[in-house]
Amino acid sequence: MTSRRAALVFLAAAPALAVGWPRAARAQTAAQARAFIDATGTALVAVIDGPGSNEQKRAAVARIVDSHVDVDGIARFCLGRFWRVATPAERGQYQELFRKALVLNIATKIGEYKGVTFKVGRTTPHDDGVAVATVITRPGNAPADVEWLVRQVGGAPKIVDMVAEGTSLRITQRSDYASYLSQHDDKVSALLTALRAQVATKG
Amino acid sequence: MRVAVGSCLLFAVLLAGCATPPPPSHPEARAEFYRTNDPLEPTNRVLYKVNDALDTMVLRPAAIAYKAVTPEPVREGVHNVLGNLTTPGTLANDMAEGKPRRAGDTFMRFLINTTVGGLGVFDVATRWGYPAHDADFGETMALWGVPEGPFLFLPVLGPTNPRDALGHGVDIAADPFGWVGQGAAVTALTWTRFSLTALDERSRVLGELSGIKKTALDPYATFRSLYRQHRRAQIAKLRADRAATVPAWFPAPAADAGR
Repeated sequence: MTSRRAALVFLAAAPALAVGWPRAARAQTAAQARAFIDATGTALVAVIDGPGSNEQKRAAVARIVDSHVDVDGIARFCLGRFWRVATPAERGQYQELFRKALVLNIATKIGEYKGVTFKVGRTTPHDDGVAVATVITRPGNAPADVEWLVRQVGGAPKIVDMVAEGTSLRITQRSDYASYLSQHDDKVSALLTALRAQVATKG
Repeated sequence: MRVAVGSCLLFAVLLAGCATPPPPSHPEARAEFYRTNDPLEPTNRVLYKVNDALDTMVLRPAAIAYKAVTPEPVREGVHNVLGNLTTPGTLANDMAEGKPRRAGDTFMRFLINTTVGGLGVFDVATRWGYPAHDADFGETMALWGVPEGPFLFLPVLGPTNPRDALGHGVDIAADPFGWVGQGAAVTALTWTRFSLTALDERSRVLGELSGIKKTALDPYATFRSLYRQHRRAQIAKLRADRAATVPAWFPAPAADAGR
């Protein structure tokens, strides 16, 4: 009798446990994501405000991007439906160019962000990982709300998107590429040429 | 008569400037075309180029000069005065949106900044717990359920849509400072306000705009995407704003005291 009651209690509790476990796991990934964004931001600020030549800073930023950002995943997202059309060689070239362009874009902003401060806010679950809210304040500018989308990629947390004042970096980039491609007969090779020119003028 | 000719011309431009959807044999491209919802794209692109040229030749140099000749505190004061002049319109929209707390903030901002803030030069209200927010009739209509409609790029106004463009017109027409007085002095003041607003807004996004134009392969499409995303986020944030009418400093009612 008692064992049956125990079993009943266990059965009654099982759904609660089943719900409770993932919630605990989610809370943990949310806390992890928050700590991850905090650490990444601190590392970036250290480079921006730290000593060293522009060249050294650029290299340091590239290292942070490579280890903390899911560059290949973002690149694939930005190419959208054209990823399937691209040949393996084109895909490889595209990912390499995308990475260079991304690092360059960030590197050219290093000067503008001198003295920047940030505050990590709340986290919210997202279809594609966890969104971590931050408020970024540049001297002489109004504070900006920037959300970071963090997902586990290959067992480690990685940034998969940055949403500044409601505008997603990867969605904006994807519509830019899609529009460019639609005006160039949907040829991925044309996009590669344009990206090559972009990287070359700024590199 | 002039209106009739004008509307005929406009109609001709619109008709010439319609984009054709990709054929059904390309379902993905077709789906993308409808998702982009920019049926007037060819016309919009022409207007984008016109606007961009005007910006490069007039507005951007003027904004750079404005930033160069006026010290930061002066620009801040000008920005505050211009912002204070828009508060009656903001208040009307806050109320039409059914957001009492926001309306209360706006009302207090106008009272405090117009008096203690020296006719709006100093933003004292933010320090006193009444932060600034924007409100326009496009947002208000969005809250009422009016859809945004297709993308538009208009001269001067820039990226927009029929709802927001109409909202902009309503905001201008409803601005009480537009009703006050007439004569050369008022006209001059109105134009000064308009020009200063343009300079103020443009000088605040100098770095951002040139950055976008430099990094985008198709700046027009990038601005289109940015405008829409930003606008949708603004409206979603506004819709979710259910701040209590009772300010934080007000003695808490007994029922809430335990929380």
